Amino acid sequence: MSSALLGEPPAAPHVEPAEQFASLHQEEEVAKLGIWGFLATEVLFFGGLFLAYGVYRYLYPGAFLAASRHTAIGIGTANTAILLTSSAAMALAVHAAEEGRRRRLFWCLLVTLLLGLSFIVLKGVEYAKDYHDHLVPAVNFAFEPPELARGAQLFFFLYFFMTGVHAIHMSVGLAVIATLIWMNHKGRFSATYSTPVMVAGLYWHFVDLVWIFLYPLLYLGGRS
Amino acid sequence: VRGIPRRIWLSWAALIALLVATYALAYVPLGRASLPVALTIGVAKALIVLLIFMELTKARGILPAFAGVGFFFLAIMFTFSFADYTTRSVEPATQRGLDAIPAPVLPGP
Repeated sequence: MSSALLGEPPAAPHVEPAEQFASLHQEEEVAKLGIWGFLATEVLFFGGLFLAYGVYRYLYPGAFLAASRHTAIGIGTANTAILLTSSAAMALAVHAAEEGRRRRLFWCLLVTLLLGLSFIVLKGVEYAKDYHDHLVPAVNFAFEPPELARGAQLFFFLYFFMTGVHAIHMSVGLAVIATLIWMNHKGRFSATYSTPVMVAGLYWHFVDLVWIFLYPLLYLGGRS
Repeated sequence: VRGIPRRIWLSWAALIALLVATYALAYVPLGRASLPVALTIGVAKALIVLLIFMELTKARGILPAFAGVGFFFLAIMFTFSFADYTTRSVEPATQRGLDAIPAPVLPGP
């Protein structure tokens, strides 16, 4: 990696807190509280979908298990491993940022970004397969046996809604990570200031958290 | 690999091990225990992410309340919703059901 791309400045820039804060430390604490407050609303946003899944699985247990047998467990499992690893890379990025190690921060963010992109690509391949298998409600849904089709259609509606909203969150996260790489390139982060990396990290881990529960609910049912 | 904090790579190894375990257990005929087992492993993975990657073990002051409030209200939402769905028998209002209701006797003129 050339130092031109990393743009190493001669010294860490002097960063002042925004005027409403007494110190950078206070600014960071407030930012942390803010992102956790936002994540609490996200917990309830996804929570409503998980509740819908729970209620319909309770009402249509057989159809839900039959339907989850049709999801692509290979891609789902690979994507879980990819996302867990990207979370670890993001945790390393936050650690590197706090230590002011900009080169390591760049590599950790790049790995996180590439893993996130491969998740999205695999998800696209999976959606294409689902379409091919006539599993898309309101587009080409067909399910055998027909007496389970009603419940299975509810399962696949929730599957597309939940994984779709999750993928949108992933895309937002990827845009944020790309921005962090650019900010790092411009020399904005140092051992004294890396709040944006910490905030983006918490968001990224939350998106991972949602997937940790989507995986067993959408892929693992009805396999035994 | 030098300089990678132990807590991070150990957490990653634990997460991958739990993923392999939940994948393998999905093919074991556990009957009704399948879902609780899968969800317990999910909670274990979530706790690793929350406590170590999201650094909640270091949270002080009001931060644990901010981190917990979403899950607290989520628990209320699930508890009350399932208290309803699991105890109420739903009688679908079929066409036949409506026909079976005797027509109201209107007072004659």
